[in-house]
Amino acid sequence: MSNKHVPLKARKVSFAWEDTPLHWVPGDPFTTHTINVLHLLLPAGERWFVHVYKQVLPYIRDERLREDVIGFIGQEAMHSQAHDEVLPHLRDQGLDPTPYTAQVDWLFEKLLGDRTLPPGRPRRWWLLERVALIAAIEHYTAFLGDWVLNAEALDRRGADPTMLDLLRWHGAEEVEHRSVAFDLFVHVDGDYARRVRTWATAFTALVFLWQRGTRFFMANDPTLADGRATFRDFHRRGRQGLLPSTGAITRSIPGYLSRAYHPSKECSTEQAVAYLATSPAAVAASAAEKSQEGAA
Amino acid sequence: MSPNPSPRPTPRRTTALLLAAGTAGAALVVRRALRRRVQGSPLWPLPALDPPVSGRPRSRALTLLVTAHERLADGVVRLRLEGTDLPRWEPGAHLDLVLPSGLVRQYSLCGDPEDTSSYTVAARLVEDGRGGSREVHEQVQEGTELEVRGPRNRFPLVEAPSYVFVAGGIGITPVLPMLRALPEGTDWRLLYGGRTRASMPFLEEIEKLDPDGGRVTVVAEDEDGRPGLDAFLADLPEGAAVYCCGPEGLMAAVAERLPEGAALHLERFAPRTTADGDAEFEVELRRSGRTLTVPGDSSVLAAVRTELPNTPYSCEQGWCGTCQQKVLEGEIDHRDELLTDSERGDSMLICVSRCLGTRLVLDM
Repeated sequence: MSNKHVPLKARKVSFAWEDTPLHWVPGDPFTTHTINVLHLLLPAGERWFVHVYKQVLPYIRDERLREDVIGFIGQEAMHSQAHDEVLPHLRDQGLDPTPYTAQVDWLFEKLLGDRTLPPGRPRRWWLLERVALIAAIEHYTAFLGDWVLNAEALDRRGADPTMLDLLRWHGAEEVEHRSVAFDLFVHVDGDYARRVRTWATAFTALVFLWQRGTRFFMANDPTLADGRATFRDFHRRGRQGLLPSTGAITRSIPGYLSRAYHPSKECSTEQAVAYLATSPAAVAASAAEKSQEGAA
Repeated sequence: MSPNPSPRPTPRRTTALLLAAGTAGAALVVRRALRRRVQGSPLWPLPALDPPVSGRPRSRALTLLVTAHERLADGVVRLRLEGTDLPRWEPGAHLDLVLPSGLVRQYSLCGDPEDTSSYTVAARLVEDGRGGSREVHEQVQEGTELEVRGPRNRFPLVEAPSYVFVAGGIGITPVLPMLRALPEGTDWRLLYGGRTRASMPFLEEIEKLDPDGGRVTVVAEDEDGRPGLDAFLADLPEGAAVYCCGPEGLMAAVAERLPEGAALHLERFAPRTTADGDAEFEVELRRSGRTLTVPGDSSVLAAVRTELPNTPYSCEQGWCGTCQQKVLEGEIDHRDELLTDSERGDSMLICVSRCLGTRLVLDM
């Protein structure tokens, strides 16, 4: 079976960024910066996932789902830390991301944070709304994870191996745990209207944040005189396989909104596990863990 | 609608034209205004979080090169670890060294805090220790690359009218940068004890810091016997800050002799241990009103989960941060790699961290 259940376990990876150039897809700042937007959104975003899921643990009545959620939390915490470590490297290269990330921080810490609501129904409503939002966002992280695991065009272009390993390690773990957020949403609520509503919010927000992020990087890139980003640039890279294609993104919409949707029907766990078995960062993490166990 | 053959614009057509021109003009103005705002604030109209959280990783592990590994005194080596643009530190700070075997050990920084290209630490060989110091002495050499975390400071030099230092053996390492950092004319004194003069690092340098004599008392056990703590700690100046670093027995003896009201600062590296591993301690869960025992071979998390099964956790190895809990009382033995100094003040990761004393009180 290609999509059997694997126990989830966080891997403590670390990456050295000294040798990664500013344009890590050589000669293609647009692709570089479009993918770089991940580093702007994920540190705050995945920290917020962890924050929300810690609160949902008491509502889980299924032991296996609880174990999955616990594994999920650790993986997300590590993703957030790993992307966060890229930001000082961007700053060192003259591209300070703080004006943007400070606003993303506000979005997740304040706007989507815990609100002073009366206990009982209002508080539960806000928690369920956020759980549903995470399920919708995870649909897209799995989509992107699956895409990057198969994006051979990036290898052909000579993209930086450390950055590719970060993206593929992360993508593989996203594919590995792609069902957890949706299963949790169905377990605690599963209301179809909420699923549609939160999908619309998440999709709109992602499009808004992503195009602003790409434009922000292009405009502030110290090596570009007049950095612009257009939809045409994006569409063309999609056709070349350097970014997800417009068609694939469009097709993923009815997928999530279908009543028969389940994440396990998409992507391949086997491919993700196979990548994790060879990823330099993941291999180093498991070696370090073994030596620590031996020492303790 | 009837076709209108007249070339003259009808009132209706004029209205439509005006409307179109107006809309285009308004769109242009909005676009310009939006552009200006977006330039200043990329996600306008969202506000920014102040201070921002992202982009300041908490645990940037550094890989440093050992460029000197030299004998400093009997059984003491000094390591110089080189890198670039290293974080600055304040006297009293320590580093976590990840040894080639994976063991993690903490060493006080004893070089120059202003030096951002290298860190200096000194380590004593503990004959019957847990293996870390032997590895530093025998496996680590010039050219070895070591992973380093920190620096962190849980022994900071506070402002005080006068200072009293008590150092035992290798416990001089955090005290030395403090002595160097004290402003000219500060009232301080130091009792530095060790087994033999040959085994005491930095003796010469310490004596140079006290050219007139009278401030530094050096006590080598083989020549002078036990240090006279009673005499040294008698008539402490009002408001003096007392700093002590050394073996457990020395720190206990200082704590015992200290008059009420004096501020004692201790630096402990080794947690209380029994012959084979960690010691047992008690954990009180204040809000739930329960008290649990954490055995030496188990964790706070495991104990807490028996009472509160929905306690969040994940990696169980001290790096994901999910199990962080507030600590109300008790001395924490931090064994994680994640928390910042300020977080360490009043919280802990209950999956790996333990207790330096016999009792912790958690806010849960």
